[in-house]
Amino acid sequence: MKIEMLLPRPQMAELDDLHGLLASMSPAEPFDEPTLDAAVDLSQRIFHDPEARSYPELLALAYWMRKSEIIRLRDQFRSLQLDHRVLTPLGIVFHLPPRNVDTMFVYSWLLAALTGNRSVIRLSPQRAETVNILVRLLRETLAVTAGPARIGTIIVSYGHEEEPTKRLSALCDMRVIWGGDETVGLIRRFPLAPHAREITFPDRYSLSAIRAEAYAGLSEEKRDHLADQFFNDSFWFDQLACSSPRLVVWCGIASETRAASEDFFPRVAKSVDRRQYTLPAAASMQKLVFACSSILNSPVEECRRFKGLTVLTLSSLESFQRRHPGGGLFLEARVGSLLDLPAVLCRRDQTLTCFGFTQEELLAFVRSLNGRAIDRIVPIGQALQFHRFWDGYDLIQEFCRHIHIDSALLDAPATHMSRAAEARTHFGFNGLNPARNRS
Amino acid sequence: MTIDDLIQCPQYSVPQKEKEASLLAELTRLGQSHRERSPEYARLTRVMFPGSSEPHSLAELPYLPVALFKEHLLSSIPESEVFRILQSSGTTGQVPSRVVLDRETAQLQTLALSRIMTSILGPDRLPMILVETPDLIRDHRQFNARAAGLLGMINFGRNHLYALDSNLELLLPKLKEFLQRFGGEPFLIFGFTFLVWTRFYQPLANAGLDLSHGILVHSGGWKNLQEQAVSAARFRTALREAMGLTRVYNFYGMVEQVGSVFLEGDDGYFYPPNFADVIVRDPYTFEEVPHGQTGVLEVLSALPRSYPGHCLLTEDLGVVHGVDTCTCGRFGKAFSVLGRIPQAELRGCSDVIAAKVG
Repeated sequence: MKIEMLLPRPQMAELDDLHGLLASMSPAEPFDEPTLDAAVDLSQRIFHDPEARSYPELLALAYWMRKSEIIRLRDQFRSLQLDHRVLTPLGIVFHLPPRNVDTMFVYSWLLAALTGNRSVIRLSPQRAETVNILVRLLRETLAVTAGPARIGTIIVSYGHEEEPTKRLSALCDMRVIWGGDETVGLIRRFPLAPHAREITFPDRYSLSAIRAEAYAGLSEEKRDHLADQFFNDSFWFDQLACSSPRLVVWCGIASETRAASEDFFPRVAKSVDRRQYTLPAAASMQKLVFACSSILNSPVEECRRFKGLTVLTLSSLESFQRRHPGGGLFLEARVGSLLDLPAVLCRRDQTLTCFGFTQEELLAFVRSLNGRAIDRIVPIGQALQFHRFWDGYDLIQEFCRHIHIDSALLDAPATHMSRAAEARTHFGFNGLNPARNRS
Repeated sequence: MTIDDLIQCPQYSVPQKEKEASLLAELTRLGQSHRERSPEYARLTRVMFPGSSEPHSLAELPYLPVALFKEHLLSSIPESEVFRILQSSGTTGQVPSRVVLDRETAQLQTLALSRIMTSILGPDRLPMILVETPDLIRDHRQFNARAAGLLGMINFGRNHLYALDSNLELLLPKLKEFLQRFGGEPFLIFGFTFLVWTRFYQPLANAGLDLSHGILVHSGGWKNLQEQAVSAARFRTALREAMGLTRVYNFYGMVEQVGSVFLEGDDGYFYPPNFADVIVRDPYTFEEVPHGQTGVLEVLSALPRSYPGHCLLTEDLGVVHGVDTCTCGRFGKAFSVLGRIPQAELRGCSDVIAAKVG
């Protein structure tokens, strides 16, 4: 069976040959120079490409993989390397990125490549223009890359055929499934090799929390800025990115939260207007139907409609529905404090974008949840900013095999038992202070 | 003018300004009555349209998206008064709309439809050709909007001929017999647009029959025919040239407002009857757009008494071309329907290989 290959070069490839091609690619050392250079080169190409530059999400990607950020990732990786615990590549990573968040495949690829893995990425034949631009730039980058990274990346494109997914699943060392519950369920029908592992990104729900008193203390200018950041979090991907907020929780006493909400959403509406955000008619109608339906099904006590923005005020969060139409519709509710929130959260809740809370409040909140919900807490404005920590994973560590060398063997030259025993007692300490361990 | 006056006086005879004043009073009263009898409707209008209890124009009246009738059974009558529940045909996999009728509303619907149809058919029943198979109403499991539409129309004719067999093939000998007997005086033809084109016009295109005394009433939309590049204009021209059929009337209507249909004038535009109207809204801001601009059609009708369906935002795009400007003497808004709002896919994390793997 032949499938379309987009990278290393555009051609039709025999599925049988992919196996050989992948096997022939040698793994790279994690964070080796040529791969770091490739990342930075791609970032530069995006910044300078006249076509790519017109897309804010591509600029955000380029910014995320700029040189200083890549160096920082390398340093973070180095700090994870311990004498008795060495991180090595897994081998071949099979990426199934989401079709609709166009840039995601590059983030997924980059972290796998930096940690020395070879990648095979499946893209849909229905690709957004941004995806085609990224594939072209990545091809240009890899053409000038030295070392294993140059040939360590394959991008294929196919539709609903099962065979390629089945074969690639069987031969990879790790499978990464982005794209929601349904996709995860479908892909999981294809077995992995017994040793292979998998990470999945199912459907998620995200929310914002704002402490009303802190909001009241902001200057006009800062309120506008916060609203604009909130716009970026929500509207870039039509509010359908998993990390885009759909519920806004105001913390404080009723009179304060009321005032804050009445001040905040008109400012968001101003951003919506200023950025000339529009929706397809069908999506806008869906929003209206959803609002009406919510009024009948949920304790909605108020509906505020601005141009492109709908806000439904809930009188209670008890058993609230996470169904959502996207496209600029927010539920809002009031709680006394952040610690009232865990009771209504669940496993599906991913990102909390917040404003106005102290470190103690946030830590108490996370401890109160105790892993039941919420994988990320970021300031308003950073909901879409990708990070190695995502959905409760540290992707850098996930893309690596953790090789353990017993510390007894690390005491060179070999010496008597007491030194080895001493080393073991230092294990915990060393683990917390790798710099000292390496010196 | 009261609702009875609007229904009884000749259709399309009330100038827009006068009609709007009467309709505004009537629909405001009707809305108030629905609020009193349907807690759901009261809640919806209170939350979605605060301060709308004293509207100054038809556009200020609260409207409901028509899709809401798929998710909720909205009723303004106690269960004991339910006369019939209408259901939209809804293609497979789609949830149908459900509309609750009491006797009063059902009677109003029948009366209203008859007032509209007699405006083109005259007061007498005409010999009638149905471009349909009799199976449609014989099989009760298929009782859907198509069957309901047929039953609604059948009363305007006599000496009915079902022109199609159960395979939807044209029964040419029977048709010729009918024409021999009735073809020299006015007769009525009714059918769904798609069937009229593919099962009636196409087999007859070169048959040289004379249907010049016929009055064709058809409905159902152009979606399937647009794929065959058949426009409203081509449809009319083809029927005229092939069989001399010049009196062709399309109508636009929906199960959520039965009886309140929008019939084509002689200029090819739809016209609201006296007791109904249309508003075109911007699909993004939901503000009314100026005439000539395309938007989502809202349909208003004074008929729905048993359910709060008097102001409905449809899922169709349309445009108003003029008001009280018809060359054929009809008053009111001249508009056309441009078909369904195109389905759009929003972006988002979900859906890698979509639901279609395997």
